[in-house]
Amino acid sequence: MHEILFRDRALIPVWEKVLRGDRLSLSDGMILYGTNDLIALGKMAHTAQRWRSGDAVYFVLNQKIEHTNICVLSCKFCDFAAKKGDIRAYEMTSEQALAMLTPEIREVHITGGMPPDWPWERYLDLVKSIHQAVPEADIKAFTAVEIDFFHKKFRFPVEEVLRQLQVAGLRTMPGGGAEIFSERVRKLLFPQKIGAHAWFEVHRIAHRLGIPSNCTMLYGHVETIEERVIHMMKIREAQDETGGFLTFIPLAFQPGTTGIKPPDQFTSAIDDLKTIAVSRLMLDNVPHIKAYWVMLTEEVASVALNFGADDIDGTVGGEKIAHDAGAVSPMTLAKDRIVRLIRDAGKIPVERDAYYNPLTLHADKVIGKIPFLNSVPFYAHFERSKFRIFPVVPRRMGNLGRKGQIDAGPFSLMDYYSQEKDLELMDWCIANHHEVKSVLLFSSVPWNQLEGKRVGITDETATSVQLLRVLLRKKYGVHCILDRLHAGVNDWSAYAAVLLIGDSALQKRKTGIPAFPHIFDLAVEWQEWQGLPFVFAVWARRRNLPESEKRQIALLLERSVVLSETDFPSVGGLHGRRIGLSPSEVGEYLHGFTYRLGAAEKDAMECFRAFVAALDEEESNEHRDAEMNGQSMHSV
Amino acid sequence: MMYTSDILKKARLGERLAREEGLFLLQNADLLDLGETANEIRFRVNPDRQVTFVVDTNPNYTNICTIDCIFCAFYRHPGDAGEYTLSVDSLVEKFKSAAANGVTTVLLQGGVNPALPFAYYLELVRRTVQEVPDVFPHFFSTSEILGMANVSGLSVKDVLRQLWTAGLRTLPGGGAEILADRVKKKISHLKGSSADWLEVMREAHGMGYKSTATMMYGHLETDEEILEHLEAIRLLQDEHHGFTAFVPWSFKPGNTPLEKIIPHYATATRYFQILALSRIYLDNFDHIQASWFSEGKKTGQIALHFGADDFGGTLQEENVHAAANFVNTTNTRECIQLIHDSGFAAAQRTTLYEILAVHELPKIKEPAAFEMSS
Repeated sequence: MHEILFRDRALIPVWEKVLRGDRLSLSDGMILYGTNDLIALGKMAHTAQRWRSGDAVYFVLNQKIEHTNICVLSCKFCDFAAKKGDIRAYEMTSEQALAMLTPEIREVHITGGMPPDWPWERYLDLVKSIHQAVPEADIKAFTAVEIDFFHKKFRFPVEEVLRQLQVAGLRTMPGGGAEIFSERVRKLLFPQKIGAHAWFEVHRIAHRLGIPSNCTMLYGHVETIEERVIHMMKIREAQDETGGFLTFIPLAFQPGTTGIKPPDQFTSAIDDLKTIAVSRLMLDNVPHIKAYWVMLTEEVASVALNFGADDIDGTVGGEKIAHDAGAVSPMTLAKDRIVRLIRDAGKIPVERDAYYNPLTLHADKVIGKIPFLNSVPFYAHFERSKFRIFPVVPRRMGNLGRKGQIDAGPFSLMDYYSQEKDLELMDWCIANHHEVKSVLLFSSVPWNQLEGKRVGITDETATSVQLLRVLLRKKYGVHCILDRLHAGVNDWSAYAAVLLIGDSALQKRKTGIPAFPHIFDLAVEWQEWQGLPFVFAVWARRRNLPESEKRQIALLLERSVVLSETDFPSVGGLHGRRIGLSPSEVGEYLHGFTYRLGAAEKDAMECFRAFVAALDEEESNEHRDAEMNGQSMHSV
Repeated sequence: MMYTSDILKKARLGERLAREEGLFLLQNADLLDLGETANEIRFRVNPDRQVTFVVDTNPNYTNICTIDCIFCAFYRHPGDAGEYTLSVDSLVEKFKSAAANGVTTVLLQGGVNPALPFAYYLELVRRTVQEVPDVFPHFFSTSEILGMANVSGLSVKDVLRQLWTAGLRTLPGGGAEILADRVKKKISHLKGSSADWLEVMREAHGMGYKSTATMMYGHLETDEEILEHLEAIRLLQDEHHGFTAFVPWSFKPGNTPLEKIIPHYATATRYFQILALSRIYLDNFDHIQASWFSEGKKTGQIALHFGADDFGGTLQEENVHAAANFVNTTNTRECIQLIHDSGFAAAQRTTLYEILAVHELPKIKEPAAFEMSS
């Protein structure tokens, strides 16, 4: 992305704030909304989008289940709800809901009306039977309004409602029911619905339980622009507290037969794009912004992918566009169309799960990017070319590499070793000769007291977990149970220690974790023990790439590293700011890395590899012995 | 190695881009980088923060056609069920009632009907000019001009001269599709070559006619052929500056034989890329038209930020896209509203881009200042 040519100079101070990593205010939001310089606004939001998602745009193979339209509320903007006895009223059994599912589905989205007479068990059964029928699919169910309804109707705490649903199979929560956080509008349009306070309370509790959720905004009815910006700010505030929101979804109001607006008066395309862009810029702490194509139209959604949105929902509603399916399933047709729409926008279509873990990339010419501060020098000056950049945590990059979906990237060392057949080394790496500061074991006790304890391992790592294993067994001679944490919010109270890497390790190193007073830097532990640097990742490329592309990637990479090395504090400044580091801390941190793969690094790689291999063999022997002992015990 | 930033900078400095540079932009540039530069150039050429539109109608005098273009869902062969040809009388009546509704331009095209004598066309032009002075006739694409030359035995030049004498001053720019013979042979092999289209336009412009230039993409063409098309019209424009505007639109597959090969609509993103590239590449065109009619209203609105400065016509009557199940009607009031919502004043124009009335952008007010009646 090149620099921005502002036609509207009022945008410049706001952009400078964004570049400094300053938080935008209400009046900044009003300036953004008020501009006619749509392209500059779009470029601002697109830049902010790229910092987070690179060229990725996410979608999910999902199915929406609206189990009933019977609702005790009468919101003015809704023409879905019906009263019991209406001709339009319907209720689904769990069997009917199951009939809507197909095996390829990865997310089931359940939300509906609030009927007066369903027993609690019926909801649990709905979730449970779907979970059993399609265990591969994550269940995203019930808006805060429905959760609050269950809480009041069945008379147990919100926490208990969510806990029981979680046991039944609920993974995440949709963000509906937020409408617009304005008492003025609530009184006008949905006086019976819960207000902002209750909505946030439900989400806060969900996040505490490890249930991430989405948040929405319904716009284009009677709200003011100021109310929209305040709405975004309220979400930002809540997100600071819990970090549990995955995606913000602006929903364009559909007038229909609501009587609020004439039925054909939709929001303008300009308003739609501005709303996407402003939300990307205001919501500096929400990972994703969704262009919900079913409401925006495919045309606007496709453009929105260059205006700040990095998610396009999924195949939900696919049957509507797939009218002439013939032999192919509507889901497949809808998927093809979504993939094409994302590719046409110049992006990488990424099929995801409910936590935004990538499952499949539908593109070639993809360069992987570790989304941590330590990798910034590789990308800060990487020129736009036919290659697309995909930010992904090390372990996931390894998985995608195994499927042949990453052409080149900084692979976690262990992932490189397991794919040597397909990957060849390049000349760059991420290594440390002393402190790394971002691969840390946070522990409640010293090393030697960890024997027999559970250790939580970040979901993101492939090599650091092996380093930890080697240190525990070979350096300290202790045996621990290593548990993978899942992506998102986690409860660490079950562990004696946790292994964190990347930006979150850096952040926690500064703030500390009260329950874990001991912080061990794994690179230091290795270096003091073996007298060698540690190589966390190596740049590698697919062996079967055309030579011209290999050369081009190497040129682009070398250029970026050389330019970045001249000024680490400023290339990493903004990234550092977002995770709470000053420019000098950033400079010091980045200077601690060795980015070029030399002889010392190669020796260190081999030494570590031998340790892992020896340990693997030892453990498999122990395993066999244990099995044999077990058998002999049986035979006795 | 080429970099998009260098090419865009060159364009912003007013230098003409080479064909390879245009191609590189189309294939590599970021959508918003293209849009930004297109917008810069748009405001240099048309500094006012306004978008023009014309109140027009687009009837068809006949749907009989013998050219068999595989992208067309409108035409019928002579003798087919549903074929029609309107008399000069009934057309003049149509124009009169259109004029009474405020229409200032009639964009008239037909099939290429070999049963119609040249006199029919001449009479149609003459009577329109005489009897409906409030409308401007914007009649006959190049294929029809060639058809008239065929039925009359006259040269293209003579056909154009007699039409001029009858009162015709502008030609619509349809029928260009993609000016690359490889494509033309596949989608419209009877329609004539690229050179035919360009030659009719060259003759017309040399005589003083104005016309638009169009491009229909999103079917069998390659990126290279899009550039071939842009290059051809840029060169012709250097000769007489006879094109008033460039109008790209995407192929609509519904009900056409070509549908079987190209089942998808081109996406909106592609449209904005093409539009912005046209503005950047066609350095000798004054106006780039956003075709809200073929692309949809929302797309049309966004297009105004990607280099377009004209919103086309209100199209009170239209049959060709309607035959492909693509219906998208609006009226003058809504047209103005759409332009205003995009952040521009709306200026009603004539076929020749003379401004008739300017509808200023209303002071910014909250978009939804609706009061509930309850």
